Amino acid sequence: MNPLLTFIVVLIGFYGLATSKNIIKSVFSVTIIESGIILLFLNLGNFEGGGIPIVGESLTNIVDPLPQALMITTIVIGSTVTALALMLSIKVFHHYGTVEWAEVLGRKDGE
Amino acid sequence: MVKQALLLVLLGGIFAVFYLVTEDLSELYNNFGKTYFQLNGLLETGSRNLVTAIYLDYRLFDSFFEAGILLVAVAGIIWISKHDLNEKNAQFMLDRYKTPDLFITFSRIVYPMMLVFGFYVIINGHLSPGGGFQGGAIVATAILILYYIDHDRETNIKQIVTIEKLVFFLIVLVASLSLLTRGEFFTNFMPLDSSVASKAIYLVILNILIGFKVALGLWTIFTAFLREGR
Repeated sequence: MNPLLTFIVVLIGFYGLATSKNIIKSVFSVTIIESGIILLFLNLGNFEGGGIPIVGESLTNIVDPLPQALMITTIVIGSTVTALALMLSIKVFHHYGTVEWAEVLGRKDGE
Repeated sequence: MVKQALLLVLLGGIFAVFYLVTEDLSELYNNFGKTYFQLNGLLETGSRNLVTAIYLDYRLFDSFFEAGILLVAVAGIIWISKHDLNEKNAQFMLDRYKTPDLFITFSRIVYPMMLVFGFYVIINGHLSPGGGFQGGAIVATAILILYYIDHDRETNIKQIVTIEKLVFFLIVLVASLSLLTRGEFFTNFMPLDSSVASKAIYLVILNILIGFKVALGLWTIFTAFLREGR
């Protein structure tokens, strides 16, 4: 897979982060950026027809296990960060009664 | 409209930078690490699954701080959800009596299977794809289903966090045992020349501890979310 495709996923996340008017959607955009980065790293050690990185299971040349081990860390940390951000947005909802960025920040134009 | 155009120009610029970076990506990456792990991974760590060999032996320090970050995030979530000073709209949560009966019935069938599958993934982490983190997430999902079966289930969050801290301490203890046998921190406590099967004891113990820690952490997180809605 071409790494440029993973950059497109990251760019979709950036676009969502810049244009979303809802706090929950902003949190989702951060998650999309993270998915793109995870794909990029998994793509690094991967190649066409590579076997799974288990000794004795795959007869062919294996893919690189190091990016996969690093991405386990990223996934766990990403899930906790998402949970923390969602809990903060629940608190914002309790305090302001809304999760729209414009209303929370006190602006009327909605941009 | 102007803002949208500017944003698109900015994203195009970022994409161009990315494109220039990928020109060198294949030159930066090399196969030395992969060949080393493939040749020595099983003998040095006793783990057939090379990913487990990396995150439980070569890079155990990373996994240790990963578990620490999970603990800190759980503590932060509990701390944030405690202070209910100025609540306006607190009646937004899902209607608990609208869960379909079919869903509840199937949850009762699926729940034990998910638990067994989670424990299988944890214990076989050094032989097959999986490990402590993934299996812990599966076990936590199975416990989440319990809340659908029994709506009024109450969980003592403080007890869970105390157990989680104890498990974290146990992980540090097991990881430090290698100081006595091998003379270095954060590696396998079995001697280097012992057999592959006896080295797997350490991997199984650490996988079970990490799995319990992740399961308890995720359990605490979604208990905090549920309590927020009640």
